[in-house]
Amino acid sequence: MTDHLNRIGVAQLGFIRRTGRWAKDAAHAVSLVRTWGPLLALQMRRLGVDSIPIALFLAVFTGIVLALLASYIFTGAVPLYFVGALVAKTVMMELGPVLTGMALAGRVGANIAAELGTMKVTEQVDALETLAVDVHAYLVVPRVFAATLMFPVVTAMAVAVGVVSGWITATSLLDLSTPEFFKGVRQFYHFKDVWFGLLKSASFGAAISLMGALTGLRTQGGAEGVGRSTTRAVVLGCEAILVLDAFWALVLL
Amino acid sequence: MKRRNEFFVGLSVIVAFLVVIGGAIWLSEAELGKRDVVHVARFREIGGLNVGAPVTLRGVKVGRVNAIRLAQNDWVEADLKVKLDVDLPATPVAIAASASLFGEWHVTVLDITDAPVDAVLRTALAEASKPGSGAWPGATLPDFGQLTQQANRIATDLGTMTGRVSSALDSSAIQDVRRSLRDLREAADRLADFAKKQTDPFNRVTTNLAATSDEVGSASKRVNTLLGRVDDATKDGQVNDIMNSTKATTADLRAASADARELLAVIRSHQQTLARILETTDTLLTKVQSGKGSLGLLARDSTLYLETTKTVQQMRQLLTDIQANPRKYFRFSVF
Repeated sequence: MTDHLNRIGVAQLGFIRRTGRWAKDAAHAVSLVRTWGPLLALQMRRLGVDSIPIALFLAVFTGIVLALLASYIFTGAVPLYFVGALVAKTVMMELGPVLTGMALAGRVGANIAAELGTMKVTEQVDALETLAVDVHAYLVVPRVFAATLMFPVVTAMAVAVGVVSGWITATSLLDLSTPEFFKGVRQFYHFKDVWFGLLKSASFGAAISLMGALTGLRTQGGAEGVGRSTTRAVVLGCEAILVLDAFWALVLL
Repeated sequence: MKRRNEFFVGLSVIVAFLVVIGGAIWLSEAELGKRDVVHVARFREIGGLNVGAPVTLRGVKVGRVNAIRLAQNDWVEADLKVKLDVDLPATPVAIAASASLFGEWHVTVLDITDAPVDAVLRTALAEASKPGSGAWPGATLPDFGQLTQQANRIATDLGTMTGRVSSALDSSAIQDVRRSLRDLREAADRLADFAKKQTDPFNRVTTNLAATSDEVGSASKRVNTLLGRVDDATKDGQVNDIMNSTKATTADLRAASADARELLAVIRSHQQTLARILETTDTLLTKVQSGKGSLGLLARDSTLYLETTKTVQQMRQLLTDIQANPRKYFRFSVF
């Protein structure tokens, strides 16, 4: 019994020590702006700009489905201009950030985990350490910052495209005029809806990139290990998105 | 390559920024460059009014609810951000009310003279008026939920009342009422028939009365004529002749009266004779009825009748036998 308690205590102490070391390394890495600064734009383009098409593709169909679904739900009981309210509110606050985050968890998280995992198993990371390069500053920080900064950008575009696709669907496929649609959008619009979604997406970007980077740097066992790390990064990224989504809803709504 | 990355990243960020800021401004209907003025409205309670709810004047949106806060003495103050160039009523009041069935509320700005004629609302506005404060008096109309609740309560009361009426007017009471109505209808029918039947006799009576009246009128005319003639007769001595004729007639009547008196005396003597005959007959019949005398015995005693009948029958048999066998009773011999 005493040994068991000792082991638990040692494990807790080890976790706290590792967390402290990780925080110290992270702070040190963030402070090395000259190391990660030049890489930021590249990562922003790779993780953010290059992800815009898939995010917009998702947003288009999300808006279409939401408009049709809303009209189906509201028919006969609720004025049809509520279609606009439902599409805008849902896309801004929930489906825009979450679906974009899910899509980017697959693309960005897998990308980071596979890239860093391959560098790890091919000992490129060890080579960087040998060259006295801060691995976290060089590999992790630019990716996390890039994802954190670019996820809101991608999400904002996705939200705009989602609302526009919902509007086009409502006016072309449903018996709804443009003024009626935007009457519904404006009726329940609050600026909080926008920044709430963008804040969530920033947190999703940070979590996905962090999961991908940490999982990649812990890769072991060659190509198979890279595959496991990639899968693990995507799964953890999606779980992180759902947990953060519930957290922000609990805290901010 | 690095510049190209920076360009694309910068472009994406700028586009996203414009989308977010532009969209926010457009959706919030904020008009940049136009100044607003904030008016404070005082309510006792604001119902479902929220920040951002539209402020309307004669149905046109002229602003938004900018802030809502609790104030002293159980009041609620709402800041109404209204466009500066809007001509507001001289004595504005703010009426908060639900805009639809779906929980949307808005504030309508009215002149106090145009406020709905509702005692509760007027009282609330009068209570919210605070001279010198600069705040608009405000009142809240009941939302659809409250109205629905009220209607539901009324419906329940009506249902209860209907149930009570139904239990009071049970089947026997209804039957009594029906019976009374039927009796009343029958009585009315009888009255109608009676009136119909009596109409003709009444008409006839009326006609007869009219005819009688005419007859009386003509009779009075004839009397007048007769009186005129009498008057004329007295003038020519015709009355004396009439009186003489009357005397002669009276003498004849006296003679006839004496003859009649003698006739009556004869009749009276015949009457007495007839009375005696009747008395004798009555005595005889009484004796017969009481069985006295031969005739009485014959009438009352059946033995005599039977014996007589029997004798007659024997006589007939005897005659019959004699006719059949004459030699049995009569014998003729020469020698």
